[in-house]
Amino acid sequence: MSAFLDMGGYAAYVWPSYAVTLAVIALNIVWARRLLKRSRKEALRRLTIGGTEA
Amino acid sequence: MGDSDAIGRDAAVTPRAHETSAARTRNGEGGGVSALSSARLMLARDLKLAFRKRSQLVQPLAFFAIVTTLFPLGVSPELSRLRSMAAGVVWAAALLSSLLALELLFRDDAQDGTLEQYALSGRSLTWLLAAKTAAHWLLTGLPLALMAPLAGMALGAPAAAVPGIIASVAVGTVALSLIGSIGAGLTLGIRRSGALLSLLTLPLEIPVLIFGARATELAIGGAAYGVPLQLLAALAVLGLTLAPLAASAAVRINLE
Amino acid sequence: MAWTWFHRLASPPHIYRVAGRLTPWLAWPAAALIVAGLIGGLVLAPPDYQQGDGYRIIYVHAPSAWMSLLVYSTMAVAAAIGLIWRMKVAHAVAASCAPIGASFTFAALVTGSLWGAPMWGTYWQWDPRLTSELLLLFLYFGYMGLRSAFDDVQRADRMSAVLAVVGVVNVPIIHYSVIWWNSLHQAPSVMRLGEPTMPASMLVPLLMMLLGFTLFFGALLLVRVRGEVLSRERAASWIREALQP
Repeated sequence: MSAFLDMGGYAAYVWPSYAVTLAVIALNIVWARRLLKRSRKEALRRLTIGGTEA
Repeated sequence: MGDSDAIGRDAAVTPRAHETSAARTRNGEGGGVSALSSARLMLARDLKLAFRKRSQLVQPLAFFAIVTTLFPLGVSPELSRLRSMAAGVVWAAALLSSLLALELLFRDDAQDGTLEQYALSGRSLTWLLAAKTAAHWLLTGLPLALMAPLAGMALGAPAAAVPGIIASVAVGTVALSLIGSIGAGLTLGIRRSGALLSLLTLPLEIPVLIFGARATELAIGGAAYGVPLQLLAALAVLGLTLAPLAASAAVRINLE
Repeated sequence: MAWTWFHRLASPPHIYRVAGRLTPWLAWPAAALIVAGLIGGLVLAPPDYQQGDGYRIIYVHAPSAWMSLLVYSTMAVAAAIGLIWRMKVAHAVAASCAPIGASFTFAALVTGSLWGAPMWGTYWQWDPRLTSELLLLFLYFGYMGLRSAFDDVQRADRMSAVLAVVGVVNVPIIHYSVIWWNSLHQAPSVMRLGEPTMPASMLVPLLMMLLGFTLFFGALLLVRVRGEVLSRERAASWIREALQP
């Protein structure tokens, strides 16, 4: 197990790389879902205010 | 910006009724000739207006001189060291100076509504903007090309390099003005657009920087600089065909 | 008749519904492929004879770099379609691409830098790939900056579309000009992974990651486009039905 974590001595480069990439993936998921949620809320709000905007 | 300026502007290019290309085509005259002649009129007008404010003309050139001076002061006064970076410094300074003058390319006309008149005039907006970009080059790029050898020599370049420096900077700044016109068109309606203009324009200008600096470097080193110079010219030609189109598309979107 | 599918594609309510239904079909395979690729790349693939275990960064670096270019091309094509045919949905796609592309370009740069540090001895090199990748990041930022500078969504859409199209012309120019420039200075040491061809045990996880990331991009796009499409519609009647839980 420790050999795996050590990555042949390259641990300090390999693991941060994976961490950054997985963080970017996670960030994108959160971001996209937040955008959709916000848009839905906004659209509903516009509907309840009613009618068209200027 | 006094009223006399505005009158001077409009009279030069706003067409009278019987002169519009629509009217001309009705009268059986070709519309194509008017594009070139209106472009020529626009060029003359922009140059004339620019010379009314001579102090503004000098600013990009003064900026160029100051930026160049930063390097001997900040890095090292040794000419041998400076010579190795001279091409890069000259080009970085030229890029930034060209950017400085870019904001004014369309701004005055956009502000007082003349640009809208041009777009509606029935004349080719692409040609008119190309003419404005040509004026920008004549007022900024060409003087920079003539100043660049001085900067180069101040950074250790030999006198024999002068023709090469002028040629590379002259051709390169043509491309810079053209690419810059796209950025100016895109940021037209935006307040305090300086930083965004730079962010948009500089990445697009990188190939010009690469080939231009290469040509200048070869010239300073006394070697043949023909190949990068030709590539630089190719970029300028590419810009000439595409940039005014993109700029006029951007301006039209802005005026919608 | 052939144009009906095209027009339906351009219809926001249709897109909203279809995108919602399609998302799991892309998201779950993407997750499976990425997990499988991670296991394959980190555990199952053998170490490289030259770079030891350090080469495993390729399993996150190559897909990220691939994404940065794929996303930009998609963005440029969508922008062009939006400009030419005045399709709101196309502009929504372009807008959705930018943050995805920028974040993966960032990941590509960081992982590339971390890969280069032990192999090249430096965290950064002005070699053609790194330099053009960095410029791609600037192009993304310029695009997003230009968008945010306009209050009117329609104007933001069309202005940034012009920029995206101009930028795509620039990308190959940058790439080749930097190669040309660099080859005149000195050839940087190029990464070599073991022998000329990668063995299957190394290649398969890489392909899985590449495909997984691509499907992930598709899923992200579907989610984002739904949001963008909603925000571009005023109080259209279809929204009420579409949003009933």
